[in-house]
Amino acid sequence: MPLALSFVTTAPPPRPARSPAQVYRQSLWLLTSRDLKVRYATSFLGYVWSVLDPLVMAVIYWFVFTQIVDRTIGEDPYIVFLLAGLLPWMWFNGAVGDATRAFIKDAKLVRSTRIPRTVWVTRIALSKGIEFVAALPVIVIFAVIFGAAPTWGMLWLPVAIALQAVLTVGLGLIIAPLVVFFRDLERAVKLILRFLFYASPIIYGLSDLPGGLDVWASFNPLAGIISLYRASFFPDQLDARAVLIATVMSLVILAVGVLVFRRMERAVLKEV
Amino acid sequence: MEAETVIRVSGGGIRFRRNRRGRRSFKDLFAGSKRRSRPDEFWALRGVDVAVRAGEAIGVVGRNGQGKSTLLKLVAGVMLPDEGTVEVHGGVAPLIEITGGFVDDLTVRENLYLTAGLHGMTKAEIDARYDEIIDFAELRDFVGTPYKHLSSGMKVRLAFSVISRLEEPILLVDEVLAVGDKAFRDKCYARIDELLAGGRTLFFVSHNERDLKRFCTRGLYLDKGALVLDAPIGEVLDAYNRDYGSGSV
Repeated sequence: MPLALSFVTTAPPPRPARSPAQVYRQSLWLLTSRDLKVRYATSFLGYVWSVLDPLVMAVIYWFVFTQIVDRTIGEDPYIVFLLAGLLPWMWFNGAVGDATRAFIKDAKLVRSTRIPRTVWVTRIALSKGIEFVAALPVIVIFAVIFGAAPTWGMLWLPVAIALQAVLTVGLGLIIAPLVVFFRDLERAVKLILRFLFYASPIIYGLSDLPGGLDVWASFNPLAGIISLYRASFFPDQLDARAVLIATVMSLVILAVGVLVFRRMERAVLKEV
Repeated sequence: MEAETVIRVSGGGIRFRRNRRGRRSFKDLFAGSKRRSRPDEFWALRGVDVAVRAGEAIGVVGRNGQGKSTLLKLVAGVMLPDEGTVEVHGGVAPLIEITGGFVDDLTVRENLYLTAGLHGMTKAEIDARYDEIIDFAELRDFVGTPYKHLSSGMKVRLAFSVISRLEEPILLVDEVLAVGDKAFRDKCYARIDELLAGGRTLFFVSHNERDLKRFCTRGLYLDKGALVLDAPIGEVLDAYNRDYGSGSV
């Protein structure tokens, strides 16, 4: 019986189409892990730096406000109070500061890959956010040493992180494309950030502000967000009005960010 | 049987500003007028209509600054048209600024995974092609070397290997074959031949007449931002040489 001559030729298997969400997740993760890898590949101390920075600042402020001047602001233990504001600030400061170079730094990649463009902003917020979460154990250590008892307010932590993520992404979406056209904005942002550090309740609490001023200060969304973080150890710091304002402000900023980004995307791609 | 259309540019146009970094006012940004042409702007491409069927090999011809690379970037989706539409069905492997995505401080291996991933390959797909890519790039001994320590030839080899293994149905090539030594260039040519034989669609920008004739069957002649001629590559090259003198394309 003659052998049935049959063969199968195979074309390269069609690559399964991936959903936009999958593509987004993959490119976001690739770039985020790239950022972290680069940071840790190029420095010997790696992780320690992301903790050391806020720690040194905390120690300085702690020294100034408890050892030199008689502090009337914040709560005890002051170092824990400080760290609960400084660590989120580091995230905010790092993410917004880096957003000014989001396109410029990766210009060649932006010009040659088709990944969803907002990834250039979101990955900054994400990588700085991961460093922030990685630095949280430092607060726990200081809380144990100085005897700050955790409270049920700790349940607000995920809300605080989510709100801050919304805020930083929103600001990044506004700043990143604008800087491509107005390079001056890069320096302006640095200046504003320095001002914002003192204008936000980081070394003090919202309630330490003189009467009336605290209402205005609440319109800085960081005020509400930091009060949420502090609720972990200092439930009195939780300011419902500030949190509400921060939520609305963060969402509005995100919406504006999406709008600005969409408007400018085309022009940014030409200019980068 | 007509192959399906994989790239369709209809009335495609894109404009740029003439002076590199002119002032822009905030008012400009929110004016939202898509079609108004401002005096300091020019159309790099306008009214371009092209339909490319699967498996075609197209060479784009024109002098410098006439919109060749811009057309490629529109097809690659790294620029967006100001006018008209650009439809691309299926993935694109762009050999455009190929070494741009690599990170100096990461190793060859890490860079390979990063770049292939950003161009849409999954981890498993990269794993499966990893050896092939490294061998093609002849970088077996350097997988752990930071990218910045590679020679420029090695960098291009790595880049070409990664992008040409993306397994996308459409391949875009922008003048990258001029680099690298002869042996590697021959390998690149062989690889492109192989991809073409496998039914890939090729979009090829070059100033090299020999390369264009070797790979392409159809030519697009761009001049002053407009598509002047869309014909078999031989005719297109003849027309181009007639207009701008023969010899160096």
